[in-house]
This record gives sequence, structure tokens and C-alpha cells, in this order.
Amino acid sequence: MSFWFWHGIRKGVQTTRYPRAPESAGGVTPGRPVTTEFHSAEEAALAASNCPANAIAADGNRARVDLRRCIHCQRCHFGEPHVLEWRSDYEWATAPTEKYEALPRSYRRSLHIIVVDAGDCGACLHEVKQLNNPFYNIHRLGMFFTATPRAADVLLVVGPVSENMRGPLLKTYEAMPDPKRVVAVGACAINGGVFGHTFMSAGGAASVLPVNLEIPGDPPPPLAVLDGLLVVAGRKPLILNESPVERNA
Amino acid sequence: MTATSSPVALFRRVELDRLAAAVQERFGASVSLSRGDGGVALSITLLEPRALPELCKFLFWDAGCSFGGLIVEERQGKWCLSYLFLAAGSGWIEILLQVLSSASSVPSTSSEIHAADWHEREAEDLFGLQFEGHPRLGDFILHDQIWPEGAAPHRRLQRKSMDAHQAHFRRRPNPDWRPLLVVRDPGAFAMPVGPVYEGGLGQSVHFLLETVGEDVVRAVPRLFYNFRAVEKIAEGEPVSRALLLAERFAATSSFAHSLAFSLAIERMSGAEVPVRAKHLRILLGELERLRHHAGAITGICESTALAVAASQAAIIEERLLRASCQFTGHRYLFGLNTPGGLRRDFTNESFAELLKSVDLATSELRVLEERLHFTSSFLDRLEDVGLVSPDQARDLNFMGPVGRASGRCHDLRLEYPYGGYEGYTFEVPREVEGDGYARLRVLFQEAYQSANVIHQAAERLQPGPVTAHCEAPSGGVALGWTEAPIGAALHWVRLDNAGLVERYRIITASFNNWHGFRVAVEDFAFQDFPIILATFGLSATECDR
Amino acid sequence: MLTWTGAALLLFFILCACGVVLSAATRGRCPMRVLVGFSVICSILMMLAAATALATGRSFEATLWNLEGLGSLKLRLDMLSAIFLFAAGLVYLPASLFVRNFVEARFRGRYPMRRYGVLHFALMASIVLILTANDAPLFLISWECMSILCYLLVNYEWGRQTDSRAGYIMLAMSEAGFLAVVVAFSIAGRGASDWSFPALGMAAAHLSNRAVWGIFLLGFLGFGVKAGLVPVNFWLPRCYTATPPIFVPVLAGITLNLGFYGILRLNADLVPSHGIGTGLFALVTGSITALVGILYATTDNDMKTMLAHSSIENTGIIVAGVGAFLVFRASGHGVAAAIALTAALYHMVNHSVYKTLLFEGVGDIEAATGTREMDRLGGLAHFLPALSVVFLVGCLSISAIPPFNGFVSEWLTLQSLLRSAVLLSPAGKILFALCGASLALTAALAVTCFVKVYAMSFLGIKRGEWKLRGHQKSTRPQFALTYLAIACFLLGILPTYVIPVLNRAVEPLVGTSATVSLVPPFFTATSENQQLPPAFLGDFHNIGAQTGREIFPGRGLVVLVRGSEQNPVIFAMSTSYGFIALAILLFVTWIVVTRSTRKRSVVRNELWAGGIPRLLPEMTYTATGFSNPVRVVFQAIFRPDIVEDTRKTVAVHFRTAILRRREETHLVDRLFFHPVGDAIGWFARLLAGMHHGRLNAYVAYTIGFLLVMLLLFRLS
Repeated sequence: MSFWFWHGIRKGVQTTRYPRAPESAGGVTPGRPVTTEFHSAEEAALAASNCPANAIAADGNRARVDLRRCIHCQRCHFGEPHVLEWRSDYEWATAPTEKYEALPRSYRRSLHIIVVDAGDCGACLHEVKQLNNPFYNIHRLGMFFTATPRAADVLLVVGPVSENMRGPLLKTYEAMPDPKRVVAVGACAINGGVFGHTFMSAGGAASVLPVNLEIPGDPPPPLAVLDGLLVVAGRKPLILNESPVERNA
Repeated sequence: MTATSSPVALFRRVELDRLAAAVQERFGASVSLSRGDGGVALSITLLEPRALPELCKFLFWDAGCSFGGLIVEERQGKWCLSYLFLAAGSGWIEILLQVLSSASSVPSTSSEIHAADWHEREAEDLFGLQFEGHPRLGDFILHDQIWPEGAAPHRRLQRKSMDAHQAHFRRRPNPDWRPLLVVRDPGAFAMPVGPVYEGGLGQSVHFLLETVGEDVVRAVPRLFYNFRAVEKIAEGEPVSRALLLAERFAATSSFAHSLAFSLAIERMSGAEVPVRAKHLRILLGELERLRHHAGAITGICESTALAVAASQAAIIEERLLRASCQFTGHRYLFGLNTPGGLRRDFTNESFAELLKSVDLATSELRVLEERLHFTSSFLDRLEDVGLVSPDQARDLNFMGPVGRASGRCHDLRLEYPYGGYEGYTFEVPREVEGDGYARLRVLFQEAYQSANVIHQAAERLQPGPVTAHCEAPSGGVALGWTEAPIGAALHWVRLDNAGLVERYRIITASFNNWHGFRVAVEDFAFQDFPIILATFGLSATECDR
Repeated sequence: MLTWTGAALLLFFILCACGVVLSAATRGRCPMRVLVGFSVICSILMMLAAATALATGRSFEATLWNLEGLGSLKLRLDMLSAIFLFAAGLVYLPASLFVRNFVEARFRGRYPMRRYGVLHFALMASIVLILTANDAPLFLISWECMSILCYLLVNYEWGRQTDSRAGYIMLAMSEAGFLAVVVAFSIAGRGASDWSFPALGMAAAHLSNRAVWGIFLLGFLGFGVKAGLVPVNFWLPRCYTATPPIFVPVLAGITLNLGFYGILRLNADLVPSHGIGTGLFALVTGSITALVGILYATTDNDMKTMLAHSSIENTGIIVAGVGAFLVFRASGHGVAAAIALTAALYHMVNHSVYKTLLFEGVGDIEAATGTREMDRLGGLAHFLPALSVVFLVGCLSISAIPPFNGFVSEWLTLQSLLRSAVLLSPAGKILFALCGASLALTAALAVTCFVKVYAMSFLGIKRGEWKLRGHQKSTRPQFALTYLAIACFLLGILPTYVIPVLNRAVEPLVGTSATVSLVPPFFTATSENQQLPPAFLGDFHNIGAQTGREIFPGRGLVVLVRGSEQNPVIFAMSTSYGFIALAILLFVTWIVVTRSTRKRSVVRNELWAGGIPRLLPEMTYTATGFSNPVRVVFQAIFRPDIVEDTRKTVAVHFRTAILRRREETHLVDRLFFHPVGDAIGWFARLLAGMHHGRLNAYVAYTIGFLLVMLLLFRLS
């Protein structure tokens, strides 16, 4: 059994330096499209019409991106004639309203998280699970996943909230003691994603619960979720521009 | 240890002509045979519904075909049922049955083919179709505690179809609902697990483990908490939107499912996919399989709380995710498949990077496997736990790595190759013990074989286009199939005259394997339940759609 | 001149007679209150008589009357009897009050009260006679009366009896035990001048070893019937379950002790044995009894049967202590013998108190809900809050949790077994070690058992379909139960006051003072009066052993055994100080918590169950599930027969029901009761062969018998 100890030591430390330093390894994020200037308004309109999720809006020569709607289908990345610029970042957390209140100071270095899979496709949940692996290791930041909502401060909702999970999700939320925050992770949890609002899907967590923070992406990479959790814990400020849909554009 | 076998020994090829002759001889007037279309080799139209169980039994047990699934459609006022079987090496067989909706009752085949049980229950819940002789209809997809009886949201006969995008109709939660408990022992109780369990890091499933204190006597799963009615949403949508749905209903096997959908559309339109695209598709499919299996191995190590091994396996998986992202632009390979080929091409340098990552992952997996073999505390939790005997595997039609660990070795890549697998040589692992350790060994071996196939694919690449023009015809129907990491995935598509989706049916291996999962859990201590769950590596969201 | 003791006893007998007369004469229309009042006063008189005897240290003697040929019937209340009498009185008080709850509900009209009153007072009188008898005939006559009265009371509700066989078995076993005891006394009285106890005691010195062994075995097993020792206790679980709840407390709390009294009187006082063999026999029997008792208690789901098995377990512990005492005394280790006997007597008193409490609690539960099955109960703390508190005290006491009384006596018993190091015989040491381990296992299983009992009945959610019967729903606790709970508590935190009282009985039997061995005089010793070595005293005063000197009377509050130079303290404990420390700690914690969380609000929400719509009762743990691991581990002892294990299917692979049922035959039944019963049946069938009705054969039998007798007379 001592083998495992030495094996682990030999493999060394794999953990990212984030949030002390930005993470620049390849493949940590799919990136995101950013607002792009085109040569003409027709090109911008064509680029906007390519998007199956209506995340791109033509505004004169510019194609503006609403990241909250983006489903990462990559059609504006390659393959189509009019592609947008893509940026390889991961700090995408945003809030549905202008008012955002972080948790009190005592939660900064001790945050307990409960995740509810409300009809998720599996990608967002898998990315959230990766936060426990040695690369991201949220334990070093004082964040833990709990099995019971009674001990949780943050509720991460993944999935568009399928009808059968509406009840359990509400129960989970009600079982959490105050203060608590709800984070919608992924495009499905924000506005239903490709599933939308149907008889079997509520079209996002906002229809069911009061959502405090949103992390766009389909799925958002682990670092984006980590960024969101740091914002919830109050260790990072949430910077909102006038329009909450654009960040550092 | 592992016994890998060559395809010739494993799959007893079923000769289609002989089978057709045998069916004609045995069932004579009740059937009418013809060539199928859209990927189906033999189509048996059943004229006498009473003969359905008998015919299914003949095909499954006597002829040795494997069961694919049940497709229910509502066309022109009639119910069209299509039972799919695979004759290994020869092709798909479908049994077509048309029933007038007024006499809406079909004989149940689940006593002959147990795997048909859930297909029939789903049809009853979503279509309202009654299956005579099925003892347990109801409370399946539409949970009884919130859905009223007779909702049948997929129907469209004589009633305005329930538009998938309309707001839901009124539902009344039933406060007196009680689950159906089976064990009658004075001290028996049913331990509830889920749907929010393991901190939510597990997918939403609900189990009632009926026990008298030590062993689980009966495990009753309740799934479909993640049911989003993907099949219904796709109706009336163009093919490009349905492709998005195919990709995203089960993201950890998204490439395999989007590939199956694309193959169906290509088959319908008769488009010829370029050679380079075929090899690239194989490469990417195996990359997904390798990454998926690394994740499953991580899950098994985590369930037994072997922390260092779990962390090391997680490192392997994260590296593969990053390699996938660097290679394709998305960690889960979204946005690559399209009917007609792939959406993008790759540079030679990126191949070199990818192959380096794959080799590193493989060597690390080998080290991990060897050390796990010598960790007796780990093996104690897996060996002889969660047993599925070969007979049970056959009975319940287990697919994928789970089936292979119990001697049931079916693999669509070899049995009925698709998309270019014909020219590849690789082995399919097979174990017969059927316990957790056998499933783990199968996962490791399959991962190595996937790496092997990736190398073969990279070698065979020639420069060329990666996409061909594929126009979806109006009024076509086709079946597309792939071997997803969890098992066989079938996508069946029918387009209407305007080229929009009329009916989209997805049959996944998870749906099949979840049905039989309970035999592995029963008669074992309930502390072993999470471990058995992890060794099965099933996806609830792939089952629920 | 009547002493206080004598006066109390006289008044007691007068009141008993009045009670009998009142019940019989007034045709049951005498108000309950009067009879209960008489009974309460009688029990107070019992305690008074015993207390005065113990306080003065003088035995009380009296002669009842003279019988031709058998001598005079004498009474004597010596210290040993006084302890038992006090324990009996202590328990009779709440038992009498408890009667009141049930009588109206159950008996009105069907079973005449007068019979119950007569039996009750007669039983009281016979018990006191047993305890104060000073010669064999009086003792045996009272014993027989007590057995018959017990049987009549057990089978009191003859129409309601679901298992009247239980009463018959009890009677049969009582008679068998009685016969054994009679034979034992006959052997003992062979060389004696008359049948009085002092004469028997003097004659015992001349008995051969074999005779002593014979007396021991017959007496031990004969009295063991009443006490509930393996292998003669197979009547006990059945009988306790079938007894009406108003009588069970008396049966478990008082008549059980009579068995111990008999063993101690005959085998320890009158006819002490010379070697350690008898003591080892008692020790081993006690340990086995304890283990078997607790195993069956842990896996039983009917509360009354479970408590019956638990009584068997406690009997085993007491008898193990008695066995250790006999061994130590025979090998000349006075201190160890004193500790062992003190432990046994202490446990006897404790057991009476908490077992009565528990049985009365179960009786209340049965009256309130109509069921005793732990699988069906649950959530009673919500419906019966007062009862839940006192029942919890009872459960804590019987699980030997400090600061309650069970802890002190079990701790002393185990410590006395550990003293086996002083023995010389290797066989003795090995047996002591094994029995000590077995008792430790028993103690652990007892905790499991009572955690299950309390949790499954009172905590959780309601599992069965019962409804609360109106008159029981009150938040005011009952006097009887509260009295017993307080007694449990006081006996637990004041062991240093109980031990000197018990010492009155221990010292004559052992020769060494238990008080001197166990309770060092930290209150009275100073560096001047040199009662303890100065260094030792200084060490203990440094940790505060003299705290409370000005407040509390007595020698000290620490129970301690001293050893040699190298090992000054062998064991020490103080539940008194422990309780004080615990109380202070809890109080401080409460203050800190309420202060620091003043600004927080408490929100109540429903139970979290994983998101399911409602947690149903069938989803909560049952008592069977809780004790299943014990059943599985000890399967070799239980050997359950699987009566039914069918899997019903509707269609192939669709299971609708899995029916399982198991039945168990008790170990003692399997090994003793059934074989003995079969043997008796065989013999009876053999004899039945002689009853064929032919007159000639009967005449032949008579003539043959006569011839044989004449021959024998001729030959002898």
C-alpha cells in the first residue's frame, strides 16, 4: 500500500496556480466568441444568422455576442463562411440583474456547495466534477461539495430543470439555510439551451428559483465554474458593464 | 486475466437468407417478408399481431439475433410498431406491426424478451399504447406523483399535438402516492437513495433498496428525472437543429450520438462521405471512448475511496479532455459531426500533439492497471461483487463493456461495421466472471484498443475533403447506428415532405443496461451499492433523453 | 419489647391481612384507592423495617408458633434479608401505584377485583415471610405459597390469555425447582439438631464434600429457576410476555430477586463450600446466561419479550458476581470477595429498579398504542413526551451509562472479575478471563439492544397504524415512573452511600469490610488521624477528592481499591464528581451557545430525504434491520428455520412479492426444554403402557410390589 503514496509523490503537483496567476495551459477552455467588426452590415447579418441559438446580433458592422445564449456549437468558429473572433479566456461569470450580493465575509475561505443535476446532458455536471481533480482541486480554496443541502451555502444548478426534477430542486433549495446563493451553470440552466421551454423542461433555473449568478457556456470549463465560485464567495468582485451580456468586449 | 478474441470466433454470423426462409416456413401466413430500406436489411411485416411474441422469441432465442429496440410511430391514424433485431454480420431485421388505434392493444413481448419491458413501458407512458400481458405499465417516464393518468404527450391522433414548446398543461402533485414495494417481511424497509445524492455529483436517479438490514433484497430504480422529451422537441425541426439535439442530450458520448444521427441522414440521402472524413470520424470516436473509459475508471476508484488512484485516473482524464480541446476546439467534441462528414479539418501538427497525449494516457493507464491489480483492499471491494452471470447478461440483453464482462460480447463495430470500421483490426475484450473487477478489466482493455485504433486511423489519413454535400430528402426514413462508449446507440429518423423531422427515435445502451442493473445489486450488501453503480458506469441522462 | 423493626413488620402483616379481608369481603366494591393505599403503606413499612434493621445493625428475631415434630417457626431479619426486603419495598411502591392505571380499563366487570386484591396482599405477605424465615419449614412453605400465588396472578386474565401454557410451564418449573430445594435442605439437615437455619449452619461444617456439592447444585439450579438461569429459564420469556402488565413489574423486580436470596442464603450463608469449584460453576453459568439473554434480547422485536431476555442477562451478571465472590472467599481473598459480593447485591438492587421502570413503561406504551412491536412503533416521543424522558432514563441505566445506577454495579462486577490476578489456580484464572470477556461482550450488546429499543420506539416517525388512546396523552409524568427514574439516578450518583449499607450484609458473609475496601475516607481522613497514608492522601487531595467535605456526610465520594506500593490505585471512579463535572460542563456549554447564537434565528423545515416527495414510514429503519448484523454474526446460536421464502411472480421476471418468514427456536429450548420434554413424554408413554384397564394385571402389580417390599425389609 505504500506504493500509492510514493506514486502520488512522484507524479508531482499538477494543480493550477489560478486564481493567483492565470492558467495558460492548452485545452483548459474552449474559448468564446467575442464581438467582431465586419467589413459590411450584410456580412454581420450573415454571421448573426448562422447562430442556431440567437446569440449573435448584428449591430451595423458589428456582430455582438450574448454569451449567455451561446451553446458552443462552434459554427461561428470554423466551417462557416463568416466566423467571429474567439478568445481563449474563462472568466465568464455574470449576474442576471445589476444587483449582486456576495456571501458574508465568513464564507470567503469556507464555502460548501451542493450540485443538483436537473436534466443536465452530462457535460456541465462532468465539468463541475472535474473541480475535484488534482488540476483544479477546489479544496485548497476552502470549497467543498456536500451531500446534504443542510450544510450547503451555494446551490449549483445544471440542466434546464426537467419537469421531474422541479420538485427535488425546490426541496433542495428550501432545505438550505440562509444565507444561500444559487448559481446557474451552463446555457441550459440559464435559458434552457437547446431544450428551451417545453412541457418537460422549465427553460432554465430562473423559472424555478431566484438565481444569483450565471456562468455561461455549454459546458463552461472548470475554470469558469471556479471563477464563478470565487465570485460567490466574495473573493473576486463581479464586474458588470452596462449591458450584462458582454464582458471585456 | 483478459481473454481477447478475434471477431471470427466471437460472432456467429447469422445468414440472412436462411433466417428469412426459416421465418417464412415457421410463421407462414402471418408474415410477409421484404427487403428493408434505410439501413434495414430484412423487413418482416406481421399480419397477425398474435404471433408477435412467438416471432420475437424465435428471432432472439432460436436464431441468436440481438435485440435492438422498439420504435413506435403514429402515422395516418394507425400505430406503426417496429421491433429491431440485429443479425450479426448480416444486418438489421425489423418486425413491422400496424395496429389500428381504436384497438389500441398490442401483445406484450416482455415475457419472451425481457429487454423489451422498458420499451413497452415507455410506449405506454408516452403514447398511451396498451400492451396486453405486461404486468407493470405506468409510472415510468411520467412519474405518477406529478403526472395524471393518460397524459401520453407524444400522441397526436385526434387531439392537438402537445407542442413541445408550449407551456405544460396542468399537473396535480399527488400527496398520497406510495411506491410499490415488493418484499413482505415483517422487518423489511426500503432505503431511498436519491434523486439528489452523492452531493449531486452523481446524476439524478432514485433507488428504493428493499432490505431487511444487510442484503439488498430488491432494488427498484426510478429514472427519467432527466427526461427532456428530446424526441418530441425534434419533431417539426430541420435536420440541423435535430443534429444539435443529438449531440447534446448525452454529452459524454456526444460524438457517437451525433455520428449515428449523421449516418442516418447520409443513408437517407445516399451521400458518400469522403474517405478522410471516415477515418477522422473513427479517430475522434475512439478518442471519445478512451476519454470516457478514463472517466469510468476514475469513478470506480472514487467509489472505493482509493484516493490516490482516483486522482491519478482523474489526471489522465483531464489530460485527455485538454487534448481533445486543443485538437478540436471543444473538450467534449461538440460541433464536429454534420451530415456529409465533418465540419472542420485538422493540421498535421495537431495530429502529432494528439498522438503524444494518447500515448501518454495509455502508458499511465497501464501503470495504473498494474498497481490496482496488486492492491488487495481495492480488489476486495470489486471481486465477486455485483455479479451478472452470462445467462443473466443474455436474458437482459446487456450491451457494451458491462455485457462484455459477462461474456456477452456484441460490438457494432465488428458485428455490422459502420462508417469505415471494416478495414480496421482491433480486439474486443471479453470476460466471463461478470463481477466488478471484470468490468474494470474490460474498461482498461477497451481503452488500449481505442488507442490502437487511433494510431491506425492517423496512419491511414490521406489529404482530401472532409465534407460532402448532403441534402436531406423529403419523406425519407433511415437508421443510423454506432457503438457508443456505453454500448450500441441507434438513431432512427423519419423526415416529412418538407424535409423536417417527423419522428426521431433514439435507443441507447444506457436505457437497456439500466433495466438490467438491478440483478447486479440484489443479494449484495447495500454498502456495495455505490461501488456496483460505479462499475456499471451508466449514464442516467443518456437513458432519460 | 418491640423494636422499630418488629413494629413495622407486625403492622405490615396486619395491613396485609386487612387488605385480604377487604378485597374478599366487600365483593370488589371497595374503592381502588383504599386498596392501593394499603399496598403503598405496606411497601413503606417493608422499607422501614429493613432500614431500621440496617441502621442499627441488629437483627430482629421472633418466634411465630410451634409445630409438632418440626420445631418452632422462627422469623429473623438479618442484614442480608434486610437488603432484599428494602429492595422489595422500594419496588412494590411504584408497582402498587401502577396497578391503578390499568385496573379500571381492563378488569371492570370481567375479572373480579377481589380476587386480585387477595392474591396481591397474600403474595406480599409470603414474600416477606420468605425473606424473614429463620427455619427451613417456614421458608419452604412460604416459597411454595409464593410460587402458587405467582402462577395465579400470571394466569389472572384467564379469558384473555393467548398463551396460558406459559403459566403452566412456569408452575411446572417452579415445582421442579422447589423439589430440588427441598432435597437440598434435606441433605443439609441430616446431621442437624433441628430445622432452623442456625442449626443447619452449624451442621454444615460436618458435611462431606460430595454433600456440599450436591446441596450446591440442587440449590443453585432450584433457586435458579426463579432467578432465570440457563438451563432452567426457558419458562421466563414466555411467561413474562403472557403476564398482564400490572403484574410483570412485580414478577421481574421482586420475585426474581428471591432466587438470588435463596442462592445466597443456602449456598453462601448456611452451607459454604470448601473449594473454588462451586464458585467457578456459578461464574460460568452466570456468564453463559448473560450472553444468551442479551443475544436474544437484541434480536427480539416484542418489547416485553425483549425485557424478559434482558432480565435473564442481568441475572447472569448478578450470578457471575456471586460466583466470583464464592471463588474469592474459598481461596481466602477477602477484599476481592467483598468487592464481588457488593457488586452482585448492588446490581440486584439496580436491576429491580430499572427493570420495573422499563416494564411499567412498556405497559404504558401498550395501553396507549395497543401494540408492543418495535417495528410498528416509532415517534412516541412526540405523542408521549413525559414517558419518553423516564424511559430514556431506564434505557440509559440498563445500558450502564454513567451517571446512572447500572454503570456502577456493572463496573464493579467487571472490576471484581479483573481481580482474578490474585488467584493461584490457573484454571480459575483462565475461566475468570473468559467470563470477563464474555461479560464485556454482554455489556456492549446491551447498549446495542437498548439503543435499538429507545430509538425504534420513541424516535423516528410513526411506522404503524395505531392511534393514541386518549387518556394516556398527558405531559405530566406519572409518579411511579418518576420515582423510579429518580431512584435510578440517586443510586447512580451516590454509590459511596449505598456501599456502606450493602456492607452490613457483605461483612458477615465475607469477613472483610467492603466499605473499607471500596470507599476510602477522603472526607474524614486528615494528615493527623492517619487513616490513609499521607502521600496517597496528598495526591488525591491535589485532584480534589475531598471536595464537598463540608457539604456531604459520609466517608467520601470516590470508589477506589488500593493496591501495593508499586501500584497504589488498582481502580477508581466517582460518578458523583463525574456528574457534577458533567453538569457544570453542560451548563457552561449552554451559556456559551445561547450567548454566541443570540442573533441567529431557527428555521424549521421538513426532513431532507434526497429530494423525494415525502419520507414514508416504510423508508425508515426497522428494529429488525437494526439488529440484523447481530443476528447474522451469531447465526450459529440462533439457527433460524426459514419457514417461507417465496418469490411470487406475475409473469416471467416480474416479481410482485417476495415473502420471507423465519422462525427461531430458542437455544435453551433446543438444548434442554425439548429434549427433557421428549424424555418425559417417552417415560410417560412407557408408564401409560401399564394402564390398560385389565383388573387382573393391576392385582398382579400390587402383589408383586408387596413381595418386593417384603424382600427389601428382610434384606436390610
